[in-house]
Amino acid sequence: MIDRLRNWALPPGALFSLDEGLSLAFAYFTVGTTVTILHVTQGTGWLPMLGVIFVVNSVTPGLAYVAVVESGGSSTAGVLSGWLVSSRFGLFAAAIAPYLWPSMWRRAGAAHLAFDPNVALGLREPDEVDKRRVFLAAGWWMILPWWVGGVLGIIIGSNLGDPNTLGLDAIFPAVMLVIVWPQLRERDGLTIGLVALITALALVEITPGGVPALAAACAALLALRPPLPSVSDEAGA
Amino acid sequence: MLSLGVVLALAIGVYAQRALGALFLRTENLPDAARRVLDKLPLAIIAAVVALTTVTAGGDLTIDARLAGVAAAGLCAWRKLPMLVAVVAAAVVTALVRATVGG
Repeated sequence: MIDRLRNWALPPGALFSLDEGLSLAFAYFTVGTTVTILHVTQGTGWLPMLGVIFVVNSVTPGLAYVAVVESGGSSTAGVLSGWLVSSRFGLFAAAIAPYLWPSMWRRAGAAHLAFDPNVALGLREPDEVDKRRVFLAAGWWMILPWWVGGVLGIIIGSNLGDPNTLGLDAIFPAVMLVIVWPQLRERDGLTIGLVALITALALVEITPGGVPALAAACAALLALRPPLPSVSDEAGA
Repeated sequence: MLSLGVVLALAIGVYAQRALGALFLRTENLPDAARRVLDKLPLAIIAAVVALTTVTAGGDLTIDARLAGVAAAGLCAWRKLPMLVAVVAAAVVTALVRATVGG
């Protein structure tokens, strides 16, 4: 029983490690807690908050909605912006989809678990079955602590001062950076990463929320570049 | 403030997009070129998300203590330290910079 659980949480032979699982758990626990505290102190009730934690199952759409509405936008504009910032999840779901099961029902369930880090960690596995196993395992390493942290955030409410004094707002980008780090050490990876970064920062002040990240996704098209010609090719030409 | 109706609307849109990706983008018999692009997609988006969550706030470019924290995490990754060390370093450095210089 315990062995089965262990094999399921850390698929044997896969690159995914306990250290990465714990880091994801820590990061998503703190993100869940701090963002929930943020919303609750702004007046969001416990029922909508539970909806954000379990049903929306993502933190950015709620934040985008609040950002738009607080700056004078309509609630329609707020919802549209929430959808836009989460459009990346559709792309992540599509990226892992070839390695999921044929059954539509199981795919529909797994779609709810499509996040940034678990898809990236799944795709890193060389073995096709491990891609799916690690996608699911890493997904639960994130989602369970995020659910627990979110509920805790509702309970703590406004009792904790500003969670950002603890530097917790740097945790999310830090985890993401560490996850893509190995890819940034490859020629194509570094180029794609830098082009995406510059695109996003260039657009952030002039486009609505969500557009910068979506536009940056186009940097993945650089993977179509032909490989560097080898020395012998050039000698032959 | 989020109301129940807003949360429902957000939930439907977010799940619809996830399901669209997992169910209807037929990716089994994809040509190799498309597969290569799809494999690099998370990298491109995550790089953008790192940049956006590090040096922007409320849709504006903002340099503050987070940049020092994320740089510390990058240093840890470069030195091949465990991810947990990198994440804790990010939080601690950000908090220290914030407490001493502000931001």
